[in-house]
Amino acid sequence: MALLEVYNLQKSFGSVPVLKGVSFSLEKGEVLAIIGSSGSGKTTLLRCLNFLEKADAGTICVDNNLLFDGADKKLSSQKEIRKNRLFFGLVFQSFHLFPQYTVLKNLTLAAVLAAKENKKNFNANKTQILADIEKRALTLLDRVGLTEKKDAYPCNLSGGQQQRVAIARALMLTPDILCFDEPTSALDPELTKEVLKVIRDLKTSDNTMVVVTHEMEFARNVADKVIFMANGIIEEMGTPEEIFEHPKSPILQSFLNNALDFSGNN
Amino acid sequence: MKKLFALLLSLIMMLSLCACGSETSAETETDSDYDYITGNGYLVIGITEYQPMNYYDENGVLTGFDTEFAQEVCSRLGVEAQFQIIDWDMKETELMSRNIDCIWNGLTVTEERRENMDFTTSYLTNRQCVVINSANADTYTDAASLASAMISAESGSAGETAVLADASLSTANYTPSSSQADALLALKAGNYDAIVIDYTMATASVGNGDYADMMILEDIALANEEYAIGFRLGSDMTARVNEIIEEMIADGTLAALAEKYDMTDLYEATLN
Amino acid sequence: MNEFINVTLQLAEGFKTTLGLFFLTLLFSIPLGLLVAVCARSHFTPLRILIRGFVYIIRGTPLLLQLMIVVYLPGIAFQYPITKWPIFGGDVAMAYFYGALVAFVINYACYFSEIFRGGIENIPKGQYEAAEVLGMTKSQIFFKVILLQVIRNILAPMSNEIITLVKDTALARTVSVMEMLFFAEEILTNQYIVWPLFYTGVFYLVFSAFLTFLFNLAEKKLSKYWN
Repeated sequence: MALLEVYNLQKSFGSVPVLKGVSFSLEKGEVLAIIGSSGSGKTTLLRCLNFLEKADAGTICVDNNLLFDGADKKLSSQKEIRKNRLFFGLVFQSFHLFPQYTVLKNLTLAAVLAAKENKKNFNANKTQILADIEKRALTLLDRVGLTEKKDAYPCNLSGGQQQRVAIARALMLTPDILCFDEPTSALDPELTKEVLKVIRDLKTSDNTMVVVTHEMEFARNVADKVIFMANGIIEEMGTPEEIFEHPKSPILQSFLNNALDFSGNN
Repeated sequence: MKKLFALLLSLIMMLSLCACGSETSAETETDSDYDYITGNGYLVIGITEYQPMNYYDENGVLTGFDTEFAQEVCSRLGVEAQFQIIDWDMKETELMSRNIDCIWNGLTVTEERRENMDFTTSYLTNRQCVVINSANADTYTDAASLASAMISAESGSAGETAVLADASLSTANYTPSSSQADALLALKAGNYDAIVIDYTMATASVGNGDYADMMILEDIALANEEYAIGFRLGSDMTARVNEIIEEMIADGTLAALAEKYDMTDLYEATLN
Repeated sequence: MNEFINVTLQLAEGFKTTLGLFFLTLLFSIPLGLLVAVCARSHFTPLRILIRGFVYIIRGTPLLLQLMIVVYLPGIAFQYPITKWPIFGGDVAMAYFYGALVAFVINYACYFSEIFRGGIENIPKGQYEAAEVLGMTKSQIFFKVILLQVIRNILAPMSNEIITLVKDTALARTVSVMEMLFFAEEILTNQYIVWPLFYTGVFYLVFSAFLTFLFNLAEKKLSKYWN
């Protein structure tokens, strides 16, 4: 059984259909790259997985847990959503770090708040719990190479550093699947490299990831599986080799031609 | 440079403000004020524009009860009457500095003012009266019935003095208003049960427009204040002018003047 | 010198009322303003229209007029004069003070609500979403993530509005609240001394300077997070 199973996901904004029935699955430890032109529905798909948008129909299963079913209203209660979204982590295009907190506090905030909800346990083992959370945060900061910035405020970091903090923050709650929404679109090429390196390093430590990206090189080299979306459906799906070397769909072919032309001009 | 000038200017203003605030003891004149004024050939009279005492008529001519009264007194003294508009708050300073020779402008006689000037014989009464809403006519009939009512008068006015001096009203729940007009409005709102204002103001407003349902409690006699002319402390002018006022009362000139300005009752109240 | 001390003491008496009006207005108008701001963003249309209409009326009419409405209208329109309300126990000065306070609180709550609304709407949507995907509850998001950013956004307009309030308290004089200017005029009419009227400016200036100092301090403290 696959770790992530998405079946027939549909979503409309008003009368405009954005997802017209999307189904795919992903094995544990795999990296899925989602490519496609703007407006193809790839970001909406990611936002539905993270419950930032509520899909109209379809199901989402992680590790055999049914997290979303368009036909089951009970699963859409605030409480269920809060619990279920922790199966996913999300890294945004423009980082969205909390400006009033230090790098370390950005990482620990949500974990500490979650621990406090179990009042009895928290009060009994306060020091231990806080020490564990901080230790975990420092380990993650070390992994993204920003240990020395732990007391800095976001405004004093470069875009690349901010995105690396955002990745560490998303990992704090140990999501089963880490999602990236065009993580390098707001960065210049030099900074893009350092962020992609972090994502590549995560792959070696067995994280399951879904990456919406414009970086064709990255998708080709890092992804195990590539989905090409167009007009709200999965136009083509396969290994990087199948997608990039032997594209079947004419839409994909013209998309790749444009994308490669673009990168060729660089 | 400009800034320095502005700074100096404001400093001078502050100093002069403090100076006029703190002046107190007046020196008694030793020379005859009468000789000084007749020597000049004119009497400088400090006034403010104030109907019906001193005001400009539609032709721009200064007139009014006090204006005509002063002109008559001056002609009997054989000097020219020269009217000088002053800042009312500065009247004592103006008088002492000899910028003016007297204050003649519906000036109320008070004990505090006696320390700074000499008053002539009073020539008019500034009468205060109690006004209530007609709806309460049965409740408030005399001063005693107002002993625990909510009462207001203009802060610092003769009305306030009258309230505090009256045996019954002084026990009432008294709150000052910022003006007589405000007191009337608050009475209309029922915020007060009664107010004490000038009789002239009361007769003009009560019974008109939205104040139609108010009435004056004519039966309540309040401590009245009187108008007189103020001269410098120790001035011999006071006695001279008093003689002329006696003459004018005797020959009916003053009564005629009071009638002309519709103040006969205020004039007669003074004689009694 | 004696006179100076006497006048200072008398004005200080009035300044206590001024300060009371100032602090009580802040105490009530800030939470009320927050509530109004929240209602003005409500998804329930009748409530939103009602609140926005009310804010429009309050912001579109002079505070002086609102003071007169609170103090005179209950008696004139409803035969229930404010001074006769049982809660004041016949204390006219207290009735006027609290009447003026109500007008000030409503007026300032409406002004503050617009500042709050602007401050809240200026927070990027991404801040809510980032906190949401980390599993925070709505109240955790508001208090732990959004609030401080709102405070930072509104600090400058709030400090303006609050310093305006210091001076606006003088308007209460017109409805017989015995604040500092009332005392200064009292001294003028009873003792014929003019300078206290201008001297009141010193009290206002010193107090405004103190508030400005506090706001600068707060701004400095908050500015370490943002460029």
